[in-house]
Amino acid sequence: MTDPVLSLEAARLTLAGNAGPVEILRGITMSVGRGETVGLIGPSGSGKSSLLMLMGGLEQATGGRVMALGEDLGAMNEDRLARFRRDNMGIVFQSFHLIPTMSALDNVALPLELAGVADARARATAERGRGSGSPHRPLPRTALGGEQQRVALARAAAPRPAILLADEPTGNLDAANGAQIMDLLFGLRDRYGSTLVLVTHAPELTRRCDRVIRLADGRLADDPVQTEAAQ
Amino acid sequence: MSLRLAARIARAELKGGLQGFRVFLACLAFGIAAIAAVGIVREGIARGLGEQGTVLLGGDAEMSFTYRLASDDERRFMADHAVKVSEIVDFRSMAVTGTGDTAERALTQVKAVDDAYPLTGTVTLDPAMPLAEAFAPDAAGRPGGVMDGVLADRLGLRTGDAFRLGEKSFYLAAILTREPDSATGGFGLGPRSIVRNADLEGSGLLAPGSLFDSHYRLSLPAGTDLEALESAARAAFTDTGLRWRDSRRAAPGVERFVERIGAFLVLVGLAGLAVGGIGISAAVRAYLERKTAVIATLKSLGAGRWLVFQVYLLQIGALTLLGIALGLVLGTALVLGAAPLLVSRLPFPIALAPYPGPMAEAALYGVLTALVFTLWPLSRAARIRAAALYRQASGSVRGWPGAGAAIAVAVLATALVGAAAALSGMTLLTLWSAAGIVTALTVLAATAWALRRLARRLAPRARGVPLRLALGAIGGPREEAGAVILSLGLGLTVLAAMGQIDANLRAAIARDLPERAPSYFFVDIQDDQLPAFLNRLAAEPAVDNVETAPMLRGVITRINGQEARTVAGEHWVLRGDRGVTYADRPPASTTITAGTWWPEAYSGPPQLSFAREEAEELGLKLGDRLTVNILGRDIEAEITSFREVDFSTAGIGFVMLMNPAAVAGAPHSHIATVHTAPEAEARLLRDVAGAFPNITAIRVRDAIARVTEALNAIAAATAGAALVTLATGFVVLIGAAAAGEPARVYEAAVLKTLGATRARILASFALRSALLGASAGLVAVVAGGAAGWAVMHFVMDAPYSFEPASALLIVAGGVVAVLLAGLVFALRPLGARARRGFCAPRTDLPTRPRHAQSRGAWRRTG
Repeated sequence: MTDPVLSLEAARLTLAGNAGPVEILRGITMSVGRGETVGLIGPSGSGKSSLLMLMGGLEQATGGRVMALGEDLGAMNEDRLARFRRDNMGIVFQSFHLIPTMSALDNVALPLELAGVADARARATAERGRGSGSPHRPLPRTALGGEQQRVALARAAAPRPAILLADEPTGNLDAANGAQIMDLLFGLRDRYGSTLVLVTHAPELTRRCDRVIRLADGRLADDPVQTEAAQ
Repeated sequence: MSLRLAARIARAELKGGLQGFRVFLACLAFGIAAIAAVGIVREGIARGLGEQGTVLLGGDAEMSFTYRLASDDERRFMADHAVKVSEIVDFRSMAVTGTGDTAERALTQVKAVDDAYPLTGTVTLDPAMPLAEAFAPDAAGRPGGVMDGVLADRLGLRTGDAFRLGEKSFYLAAILTREPDSATGGFGLGPRSIVRNADLEGSGLLAPGSLFDSHYRLSLPAGTDLEALESAARAAFTDTGLRWRDSRRAAPGVERFVERIGAFLVLVGLAGLAVGGIGISAAVRAYLERKTAVIATLKSLGAGRWLVFQVYLLQIGALTLLGIALGLVLGTALVLGAAPLLVSRLPFPIALAPYPGPMAEAALYGVLTALVFTLWPLSRAARIRAAALYRQASGSVRGWPGAGAAIAVAVLATALVGAAAALSGMTLLTLWSAAGIVTALTVLAATAWALRRLARRLAPRARGVPLRLALGAIGGPREEAGAVILSLGLGLTVLAAMGQIDANLRAAIARDLPERAPSYFFVDIQDDQLPAFLNRLAAEPAVDNVETAPMLRGVITRINGQEARTVAGEHWVLRGDRGVTYADRPPASTTITAGTWWPEAYSGPPQLSFAREEAEELGLKLGDRLTVNILGRDIEAEITSFREVDFSTAGIGFVMLMNPAAVAGAPHSHIATVHTAPEAEARLLRDVAGAFPNITAIRVRDAIARVTEALNAIAAATAGAALVTLATGFVVLIGAAAAGEPARVYEAAVLKTLGATRARILASFALRSALLGASAGLVAVVAGGAAGWAVMHFVMDAPYSFEPASALLIVAGGVVAVLLAGLVFALRPLGARARRGFCAPRTDLPTRPRHAQSRGAWRRTG
């Protein structure tokens, strides 16, 4: 493996629930190399999305360590984490999470503007164009799922991040749109040489990953078949 | 960069519409409108008084004397400086019509004027005619007079009819409809009559010792330095009892009254803003809750706390400005719309316009209130983490703010109270009011908390499904109970406090007082009339008690040789002239609290017995020397005793009582109080007034009615302001009910599915509303009662008794208000088909972004 872009050492995530603490992740140790594409799979409730959240600094580990690009995410406060994501990460969600009151172009330009990029809107126009071929579309809330996810992809890729994290990006889409989105996602990874970590249930996606990691009950499942299958 | 970006995001967010901000805008606009309206009226009166000072005063300046006319020196001074001088004598008398048993009598405040009156302005009469024409004698040779329509009606007079003042006959030439200088006259117990001074010759009125005031209005050359002239007059006539007023402050009494009532109403308005603040806070929290996903998304894209805070602060700021603008427009429109009514009803000039000063004051309160009530949820919103996209636990706008925000809220709240204290000029009252509002809010919040806990505990044991459901809903996770009790509770608390104070004041005046109060005050009884007057009363079997006392009036000018006001401040005893009496022995039932009474027939240096409570307030002690100016002559007397004087009995009560030798030589009259059975009052008046035409009778019940009238006006103004508070509370209530509607739709759907009839569901909703309303009302009655007690005890120094009628109304009002708001928003839940109810978002579930709910983004995928 090349030098790790993401590495987790015995990372744990325990959250408070109504009936007491719930262990979501129970000591995950793994790493992801530069330019690698990793698929996270597992049954519902196994901790895939939570693991992705730890990697993206959206959630902080309650035990162990999470490193990204050599920096300890656990040592950062909320604002430092935000800046770190702004400069190094692009995240795509299953439910798109566009800002509904902003136009598609404004959504794409937003991370660039947050980073203080001078020609944010021009770059966003270019990025948006690559994503769908039409930079000036109606507001995202009026758009269909596929269109929204294309905008979300363009937004995630606009700052040309070193790390792309995608949480079931096709989960809310039909097969045709899902395929288009995946082509776009992998195209972006190829174009910018980003490291891609992907949560998915879709076998056709796992086949496009360099490596697939299976989770079960908050732990890495010891199942080499998946990794081989991916290769 | 950060601010520009924040502004861009904020603008985009605002394009999403103002849904959910109607309550925010209404709450802010109502509070601002009330404060702006009061401020504009106050400013309008101040300007009206300022602009028309000369007309109000009836001249550029006025020199007044109590109990005497101006001396030759004083007249010379006036003639030297004024272009024109007008002499006016003001006194109380009885206007009489008819004779014998058919005679009608009424108290009147007589203004006896010269031919120069009025120097400025115009007396308006009906039928219209110049005043000089009205004074012209009729065919029978009787001089003319004019009087207020109320007085004419009371006496059954029409123009041309005869009436008497003292022993002199006049005819009613016209009805007085407007007196240009009426605002400077102060509080009069009787309606006004105006006659010519010279025509009072032979009336028997204004004999030496009679109670009257003389006013000399001066028309001065243009450019006269009023301050210099005042100084010159005061220097020339030191210690003569001279009172000076000029057009710079023509009606200080009115100004003071308007300032105080205005400041008080602004404070009530601030209470309204506090109620509005609860609605503002609730609306902002609800809005930010809907924006949780957006905030979390921004965070996931790299936005920091400060940017998020700026984005939403800018939005709230823009809405605050809109709310303030709406409030200012509404307040100004209200005042200008009511301008014709105000101008015609107020006895002093008022110049109404959208003045920037009061509007800026209202806007300042609005900005500070909005910040105080929104910084908390805003600071919480900025702390929402990106993980909120996945789970609720990663941040919420509910909960405690950070230390920085808490400090900022405390500083802004202090600034708000500080601004109110500085701008109202009533620091102590403002601080007490602020403390009262904070205490009330704390008590109400605690009550809401306790009520929810109690409801949760009682719900499982409650009998009947509707009650169990109602208790379950009150104790449930929604915030309806808190919003209802806080908003409506505070509004009702203000109203309850007003109700308790008003009722207690009225009770003190109307119920307690007359039990001990005399039926009549008789004034202007001359020395030589006193024996005959007393004999006549002694012959009347219905009279059970008569007290008389010699009556002089004097101004305390010095205390121990120093100017009195410098030593003891602006105490009411030092303001203007006070009654002075004398007695050889302590009058019956006098309690000496300190010192000793002078020996009988004492004729040494003047000695003085002073009222104990007032002496304490003035800081006087035994041995102090007071200089009292009586009829232009200074009398310096030593305080040799203090005594209890109970002014609340409406009996004869003098702050100052001297030894007879000190003042008996000065011309004076006597006053008498007479207790008699109510049925004998009319006969007594007829007898005494018939026998002694110059003696003026003041019926205590009439005087009380006049005071009550004044109280009514104040109570109406206060109730108006309190109603604005209540209206704001109602808006908050509507907002809470509207926010709870989706949950009710869901609840109704479940109940219908389970077989509940609409009547049963309605009963549950109604019970819930009634319980909340009754709780808010009960807390309000307790808090309002406490406030009422505090005001009566500490401010009025009067006993307090709980007044149940208004309290009951308050509780009933609370129930009705919540029922109304609740039932309006129960219509849709009741009408919706069960299947549809399940599609409605459940707001009693942990709140999630609406678009996320519908797309299932919060489903735990990992």
